[in-house]
Amino acid sequence: MNKKVKVALAVLAVMLLAVPIGLLTDAPAWGEWDNDYYKKVLGFIPKGMEKFHSFINPILPDYSLPGTNDVVGYYVSAIVGAILVFAIWFIIGKILAKKHSNN
Amino acid sequence: MHIPDGYLSPTTVAVSYAIMIPLWAYGFKKLKEKLDEKTLPLLGTLSALSFLIMMFNVPVPGGTSGHAIGTALIAIMFDPWIAFMAVSFVLLIQAVVFGDGGISTWAVNSFDMAFIAAFVGYYTFKYLKDKTKFAPFIAGWLSINVAALSDSIILGIQPIFWHDAAGHPLYFPFGLSVAIPSMMIAHLFVFGVVDGAFTQIVYSFLQKRAEQKIKEEVAI
Repeated sequence: MNKKVKVALAVLAVMLLAVPIGLLTDAPAWGEWDNDYYKKVLGFIPKGMEKFHSFINPILPDYSLPGTNDVVGYYVSAIVGAILVFAIWFIIGKILAKKHSNN
Repeated sequence: MHIPDGYLSPTTVAVSYAIMIPLWAYGFKKLKEKLDEKTLPLLGTLSALSFLIMMFNVPVPGGTSGHAIGTALIAIMFDPWIAFMAVSFVLLIQAVVFGDGGISTWAVNSFDMAFIAAFVGYYTFKYLKDKTKFAPFIAGWLSINVAALSDSIILGIQPIFWHDAAGHPLYFPFGLSVAIPSMMIAHLFVFGVVDGAFTQIVYSFLQKRAEQKIKEEVAI
């Protein structure tokens, strides 16, 4: 394996292990509040925000696994997310390889 | 910076997809040109690092938090188009699987955190790499700040254009004079520094390895 990949994978492993550090704050990001925040601050929820509020039910909402504690949920989310990222590139690699061999 | 569904007017969403679809199509073409089985493992790993660094939430005064994005690192290691595509994929996974950022807002979020961050990071690094050894830090810092500025402008124009007859905002309610300073102060002083440090550290790890390898090959 390429040495750069080895180094990058080592960084990935360290970050994966350390990922619960990200749970030390539960403060939301600025401009990413839930609708009840607007109810509290403005006294109302803007109509469009209420109407178009989330289309889908995520499997791991807010990087948590319903029914488990925060740390477990965060680890599961980190692993699932990392695997999905690799999976997308794997699929793209396959598509590109096919295209190259067709040429 | 992950704008949720419902925050942006349908017009904003439509315009953003009209801009982003051609950019994604062109980006995909670039992937075909530039990628091969040798570069994919590193690209996959750096994309996963971008996903992970976004999970490291850092609190700031005022009751909010934020994180680095890691786009600049991919841009300077590969190419801005590749970084743009990589972080767009990361944002799609975050929206669909974790509910972080919306589906309707995926185009705007990709424009800010993937497209802008990748090109600002790449060209900043390119311009500074022979001038200072802190080029990766500055590239990371500037990339997330320009992305945050774009994000705050897109949020901040919502109440100007889209409100009801009584003047109540229909979508994101805070205007430019609130959105820009709130986003920028936190990014200039905290999240930008985190992104810069992340870019600098991982970049130097990767380069050191590459130089060692060259030395070993020369020695043989």
